[in-house]
Amino acid sequence: MLKVTDLHVSVFGTPILKGLNLEVKAGEVHAIMGPNGSGKSTLSNVVAGREGYEVTQGSIEYMGKDLTELEPDERACEGIFLAFQYPVEIPGVSNMAMLKAALNSIRKYRGEAEITAGEFLKMIKQKAELVEMKQEFLKRSVNAGFSGGEKKRNEILQMAMLEPTLALLDETDSGLDIDALKTVSDGVNALRSPERAMIVVTHYQRLLEYIVPDQVHVLADGKIVKSGDKSLALELEEKGYGWIENEFQEAS
Amino acid sequence: MVNSAINIAADSVDSWLGEHANTALPGGGVPWLQAQRSAALAQFEQVGLPGVRDEQWRYTNLRALKSKLYTLNTANPGQDVSLPDSEANRLVFVDGHYRADLSSPGTVAEGIIVGSLGMLLDQQAEVLEPWFGGCLPAEPHGFTALNTAYCQDGFVLVLPSNAVLEEVLEVLFVSSSAQDSTNRISHSRNLVVAGANSQCRIVERHIGADGAVYLNNSVTEIHAADNAHVDHYKLQQEAEEAFHMGAVFIKQGGHATVKSHNIALSGLVTRNDINCYLLGQGGHVEMNGLVIGHGRRHVDNHTEVNHAVPHCTSDEYYKSILDDHSRSVFRGRIIVAQDAQQTNADQQNNNLLLSKDAEADTKPQLEIYADDVKCSHGATVGQLDPKSMFYLRSRGIDAASAKALLTFAFANEVIERIQLESIRQELTHIIAGHLLSGLEELL
Repeated sequence: MLKVTDLHVSVFGTPILKGLNLEVKAGEVHAIMGPNGSGKSTLSNVVAGREGYEVTQGSIEYMGKDLTELEPDERACEGIFLAFQYPVEIPGVSNMAMLKAALNSIRKYRGEAEITAGEFLKMIKQKAELVEMKQEFLKRSVNAGFSGGEKKRNEILQMAMLEPTLALLDETDSGLDIDALKTVSDGVNALRSPERAMIVVTHYQRLLEYIVPDQVHVLADGKIVKSGDKSLALELEEKGYGWIENEFQEAS
Repeated sequence: MVNSAINIAADSVDSWLGEHANTALPGGGVPWLQAQRSAALAQFEQVGLPGVRDEQWRYTNLRALKSKLYTLNTANPGQDVSLPDSEANRLVFVDGHYRADLSSPGTVAEGIIVGSLGMLLDQQAEVLEPWFGGCLPAEPHGFTALNTAYCQDGFVLVLPSNAVLEEVLEVLFVSSSAQDSTNRISHSRNLVVAGANSQCRIVERHIGADGAVYLNNSVTEIHAADNAHVDHYKLQQEAEEAFHMGAVFIKQGGHATVKSHNIALSGLVTRNDINCYLLGQGGHVEMNGLVIGHGRRHVDNHTEVNHAVPHCTSDEYYKSILDDHSRSVFRGRIIVAQDAQQTNADQQNNNLLLSKDAEADTKPQLEIYADDVKCSHGATVGQLDPKSMFYLRSRGIDAASAKALLTFAFANEVIERIQLESIRQELTHIIAGHLLSGLEELL
């Protein structure tokens, strides 16, 4: 589904990713781990198409298409979803309005009919239950005045509504207490399916106890330096990132 | 139908002073009004029309307004006009004159007076005498002086103590396209006297015929006695090439609440002076404003809140959305007198520039002479937040729709402050439609 080859990315002129390779197939969940500054968030942002993230070398292929040719909204319409590390507050636009706009925009792109008001309400009610979000939050402005946990829950609600093919979760666990982490993870797990792939970016192994990955990759200095199954995450937890970095430096 | 008219060139003081105007206009036989008209004319002779050299007008160039010749209809021309449908109780004025044939004032509770200034001057001028001109500033500018000197008509609403005007009163000011080569000028003069504990809601709507060039010079005075509640909505939907010079002057007693909404949607050059005097303890004034600018539109809003006594609150929220070469000017003056302890005053002015050629000038002006007060103000001029744009686009919303949605959200923070459901819906419809067709369905 996603094939990243020798990817070099500069963020506002500073090289961050330096030759990253990654292949994700439908139905798989990949975890990207790594110390701060290793380029984890850069990977999710460049896939989503954030401004200022420039691909200087290599390629990102998604469902056989060159992603770098597409606008951020076109990527979303093609089925890519980014759950933000720091979700943006948008006063004056309600959660409902944004989601309806997003759903209809995606449907239009795919040549499908617009969702009816009735269908939409039914759908959002059902999905809100999935992430245990109160109905009143749906009418409130997007993330405005939400707590850290509520914002992350809102990201998962949006993901549930937009039903992406490839979901990127950028440090969704940061700032969450254990209850919120469980709720968010349950929401994510409910969305796992053979057609959907997920990339979970995280600093801590804790999240991966709840969202169990098929593969774990360790990112250091803009490259994937080690890949393995879920046991790699446990090893990292035990030995810290220093172990990988040392091993990587010795090898190179 | 008598159609007497005075032709006047705006840039010449002498030519404003048609010698027969005083007697042809309403209230010709009412001595106190004649005295006010004469005094206003004398004042106008001294000050003339404002210009960019006046500090309060320095950002507003009136050259286009002054270069035109205007015709003042002293009598009611009674021409045909097409009006927007309305279920509301409505008074209609065309080119400054009351049109009973187009109005449906409805029935009001006993003791409440709803009608036209001209009618009341004929029938019970004594009711108006204590109030007319009472809210004006000590030194009104030239347009206000001209309004007093030449006002043709306007609406009057008088509520005795404890009276409640159940239905919303809508007053429609229509400017027609002139039949000859000159441009219409109208001076409407409106008066609201809300007695103690009374309550009313007024929608003042200014519209113009498509393509018409005219000068609409309107003054509304609002006296709100102790514990009165007045909601005033001023909607400017003037013709694109029109000039709108408007003023709303408010005086409030103890625990009175006045909410002024000033929505400028169209017109070429607009100036609004909204002044409020808080004269009784516990008074509260809310001033909300929204400017939608496009083309070469220029909107200048001057607000002034005078906290004269302790324990009053004022809450001011003005926003403008400026596209193309449009420009907005905001001055927000708050004066807290030495005695006005425990004042709580807040003022916000936020401007959104959608084009590199748009311009916003904002000037908060706080003059605080008391020492135990809470006053805050904020002014911003900026563009749409790129982070918000990316967030919406990452959800599949295209750039144009994301821009429209965020722009609407910016306006919506003012619209949400409007209590009147019908007006809120209408503005949502107009602004959403203006930004992007189909946006409304998204909301």
